[in-house]
Amino acid sequence: MVRPNNNQLPENLPQLQNLIKRDPESYSDEFHIQYQHFLSLLEVFALNPSEENKSLDDIVMFVAQVAQCYPAVCEEFPKRLSDLLKNYATVLDPAMRNCFVKALILLRNKNLVPALDILELFFQLLRCPDKNLRTFLQTHIVTDIKNMNAKHKDMKLNSSLQAFMYSMLKDANPKAAKMSADIMIELYKKNIWNDSKTVNVIATVGCFSKVTKVLVTSLKFFLGHDEEDEEEDTDSENEVDLKGALMANRVNKKTKKRTKQLAQIKKQAVKAQKKKKNAPAFNFSGIHLVHNPQGMAEGLFKQLQATNERFEVKLMHLDVISRLIGIHDLFLFGFYPYITRFLQPHQRQVTRVLQFAAQASHELVPGDIIEPILKTIANNFITERNSSDVMAIGLNATREICMRCPLAMGEDLLQDLAMYKTYKEKSVMMAARSLITLYREQLPALLHKKDRGRQTEAQAERKVRAYGEREVHDTVLGAEALLKDSKTIDIESEDDTDSNDGEWVNVAHSDGEGGGADDDEEDEDEEEDDDDEDEVNSDDEENEEGDNSDEGVESGEESAKAKKEKKDMKILNQKEAAQELALTRIFTDEDFKRINAANLKKTVTSARKRPLEQDRAEFVKLNSIEMIYKKRKHDKESRLETVQAGRQDRERFGWKDGRVNEHCSKTNREKRKTKNFGMLRHKARSKVKKSFKDKQQALRKHLLHQKKMK
Amino acid sequence: MASKVSRDTLYEGVNGLLEASAKKKRGFLETVELQIGLKNYDPQKDKRFSGTVKLKHIPRPKMKVCILGDQQHCDEAKANNVDFMDAEALKKLNKNKKLVKKLAKSYDAFLASESLIKQIPRLLGPGLNKAGKFPALLSHQESMIGKIEEVKSTIKFQMKKVLCLSVAVGHVGMKSDELAQNVNLSINFLVSLLKKNWQNVRSLHVKSSMGPPQRLY
Repeated sequence: MVRPNNNQLPENLPQLQNLIKRDPESYSDEFHIQYQHFLSLLEVFALNPSEENKSLDDIVMFVAQVAQCYPAVCEEFPKRLSDLLKNYATVLDPAMRNCFVKALILLRNKNLVPALDILELFFQLLRCPDKNLRTFLQTHIVTDIKNMNAKHKDMKLNSSLQAFMYSMLKDANPKAAKMSADIMIELYKKNIWNDSKTVNVIATVGCFSKVTKVLVTSLKFFLGHDEEDEEEDTDSENEVDLKGALMANRVNKKTKKRTKQLAQIKKQAVKAQKKKKNAPAFNFSGIHLVHNPQGMAEGLFKQLQATNERFEVKLMHLDVISRLIGIHDLFLFGFYPYITRFLQPHQRQVTRVLQFAAQASHELVPGDIIEPILKTIANNFITERNSSDVMAIGLNATREICMRCPLAMGEDLLQDLAMYKTYKEKSVMMAARSLITLYREQLPALLHKKDRGRQTEAQAERKVRAYGEREVHDTVLGAEALLKDSKTIDIESEDDTDSNDGEWVNVAHSDGEGGGADDDEEDEDEEEDDDDEDEVNSDDEENEEGDNSDEGVESGEESAKAKKEKKDMKILNQKEAAQELALTRIFTDEDFKRINAANLKKTVTSARKRPLEQDRAEFVKLNSIEMIYKKRKHDKESRLETVQAGRQDRERFGWKDGRVNEHCSKTNREKRKTKNFGMLRHKARSKVKKSFKDKQQALRKHLLHQKKMK
Repeated sequence: MASKVSRDTLYEGVNGLLEASAKKKRGFLETVELQIGLKNYDPQKDKRFSGTVKLKHIPRPKMKVCILGDQQHCDEAKANNVDFMDAEALKKLNKNKKLVKKLAKSYDAFLASESLIKQIPRLLGPGLNKAGKFPALLSHQESMIGKIEEVKSTIKFQMKKVLCLSVAVGHVGMKSDELAQNVNLSINFLVSLLKKNWQNVRSLHVKSSMGPPQRLY
C-alpha cells in the first residue's frame, strides 16, 4: 500500500535514516539516490568551498550515520571528506569544517577509517585559526586512543601512533607541538601510555623545545601535580548498599521490576568487591623513568644558562634539574655555584631557590661543593642585621640541606649556628634547635659537647658514615627483639613444621606436660651449650684484639675494660643469635611488629616520650623551609568553642548557698544584701559600735555638760 | 600465626631449582636470583626503600673488584693479586667518558681508599655513578681481602622503574642449605624494609639463570 506521491522520504532524511538502520537491504535504492545527490552536491561545493551549504551538511551527516550498512558503496566516502578537509582546510567555513570533522569522527568510531590516517589529518587541521575545533580535536584524540586501549593493548598500533606523536612534537607549528605534548601527558596520566618511551620522548624532545609553551608543559609534567586523591573520594561515595536493598526486597511487594533491580544491585556489589580486591595500579612519576638523567640534567642546565626566558621558566628549570640530581644521585657540579648566585634575602622567590638547593644535595656530593652554599646562606641570611624571619628561613634551609648531605657542615659553622638556640625570637630559636636535633642524630661529634644531649639507644648504635661508605647490615635491624621471649614462638613454629616434616625433634605437646617440659629443657641446654661455645670463641678474639691494640695498660683500667668487654660480648652474642634466627626462618608479620616496636623503643629516651619524626620525602617541601611562624593563637570563635565545651558537665563557679532545702525562705540578714542602702543606713549605723575615741569624746562632753548644769 | 613461607615450600623451591639445573647443565655457573613482586605500593607517595645486606654465603664468587687506592693500598693489592688503579692512572682517564665507561664495564665493583674517594667525582665525572658502581670505602683499618669478600657477599635491594625487583642470592654450585639460608635472610631483610611488611609482597620466586622459576609465595 505504498503511495508514491505521498512518499516524503527523499526530503525527510532523519526518517530515512531510521528506516535504513532497521532494514538496510530494502532501502538500498533510496540510499543510492541520496548518495548520488551527495556526490553532485560535493562537486558543486568544491567550486566554492568557502560558502556554507546547509543541504550538504545534512546529507553528509546522514551518509556518515548509515555508512556501516553499505560499506561497499561508501568505501570512497571517508576519503572524499578527508581530501576536502586536506585541500581546503583553512578556506572552509567553520560550520562546514566542523560538520566534516564530526562525520569523520563518526566513521572513526564505527572503525571505518584507520586511526593513523585520521590522526594525521587532524594534526594538519590544527593550523586553522579555530580554538573550538582544536579543543574538540584534542578531546577526541584522547578518548579515541583510550577506547582503542580499553579492552586490550594493541602494541603495534600504539607504537605507530606514538611514533607519529613524537614526530609531531618536533613539528615547526607550535600549536601542533603543544597539542601533541598535551595529548601525551594526558594519556600518561590516564595510565594508557604509561611506558618509559613516552616519558623519554618528553624528556629528550619536549624539554628542549624551542617553543616556550611546549617547554613549560614538559617541565611541568616532570614536576607533577597529582589529582588522584579527588577521584578516590568520588569512588567511595557511590558505593552500593546491598544489605539495605536485600532488606527492602524482603519487606516490599514482590514485582518483576523489583527483582530485576535487586539483581542489578547484586551485580554492582560484586563488581565493587572485585575492584576493591584488585590492588590499585600505581604509576611512577615521570622523573623516575628517565633513561639518561645525567644527560638530561646537563642539557637542561646548559639550556638554562643560555636561556633568556622569564624568571618563572628559569625556576622551573632549576626545579626539574634539582629533582633529577636528588633522585638519581647525579653529579652536576656547575649547578651549585650557579644557584649560589641567587641566594640573597631579597631575591624573588628565594625560598624556592633554597628548596632547590636542598633538593640538589645528596650524600654522594662531596662536602666541599655544598659547603660554599652553606657559607653563603650563613652570611646572607643568618646574621642579626636581618629580620628574624630571614634568619629562620636560612636556618631551616641549612637544616634541609644538611639532612641530605650531613658531611657538608663544618664544625665551626655548626657550633655558631647552634648558638641561636637561645635567640629571643621563637622562630629562629626553633629552627636552630631543629638543626641541633638533626646533628644529634647524624653526626653528634660536630656539636658542642653540651648540645649533644643524652643519646638514645638507636643513636648509640648508629655508626657515623664517612663519605662514600655504605651501611651494610648483617641481619634484619632489631631482630634481637625476637630473642627475648622467642622461645614460645620458636616452639610453636617448629610445631608447625613438625607436623609436616618429621625430621625435626618431636615436641609433641599431646604427649603430656612432662614430656614437653623435658624437651624444653633439652632445647635450653643445647642453646646454652651453643652460647658457651660462642662465648669462648669470641672471648679469644676479644683477647687477641685487646692484646694487639694496647698492651701497657694499668691493671685498674684493665678490670674496667674487661667488664666492658663482657658487655660487648653479650651484645655480640645477641647479634649472632639474631643473625642465626634470620638465617633459619622467615619472620611473620607479628615478628615484624615486635621488631618495629623494639626499634621504636630504642629511639626514645626517658626524657623524650615520642620518637623524632623521620619521614624523609623524596622532595623537599617548601613548607619545611618557610615554617617560621610561631604557633598560631586561636581566633575568638574557636577559643569560645573550647570554652563552651569545657563548661559542659561542670558545676557553676562562685558562691553556693549551703541550704539543705532550696525552697525555704531566706534569713533577714540575707535579704538585707539585696536591699537599697538608703533603707538600711540607720540600722547599719546603730549596729556599729562606737570607737574608743568617740566614747571618750562623748563622755567628756557629757561631763562638761553636767558641770555647766550645776 | 604461621610464617608466610613455610620451611617446606622454601626447601621444595630450592631443591627443585637445583634439580632442574643439574638435569640440564649449562656452559656457565648459573646464578640463583630472588624475584619479588610488590603490591599496595604507590611509588609516587610512599618512601622509596633501599638497603644493603651482607649474606652469609657469597652469592657471586666471580665478581671482579678493582681497588682505586693510595700508595699503601696499591701495594697491598699488588701483593694480594687484585686489580688496582692509583690516582695517577685515574687522572690519565681525563674524564673521558668512553674510557670511564669502559672502566665501569670491566669491573663489577670498586673499592676506594679514604683519601681518594672524595676526589672520585671530580676525577672521573659521573661515569661510575651512572653505571651504579660508585666505589665503596676501604679504610686502612680493615683488611683488604675481608672487605672484598664483604663486597662480594653484599646485595642491594633497590626498586627502580618497575614494581618488582630481583637480586642474586646465590649460584647453583651452592648446597641447598646454604642457598636456603641466603634466601631466608634476604627475604627477611627485604620484608623488613617494606612499610607494611608482608602486606606489600605480591609474590616471591626463586629462579636460576636458565631454569624455570619456583614460586615461594
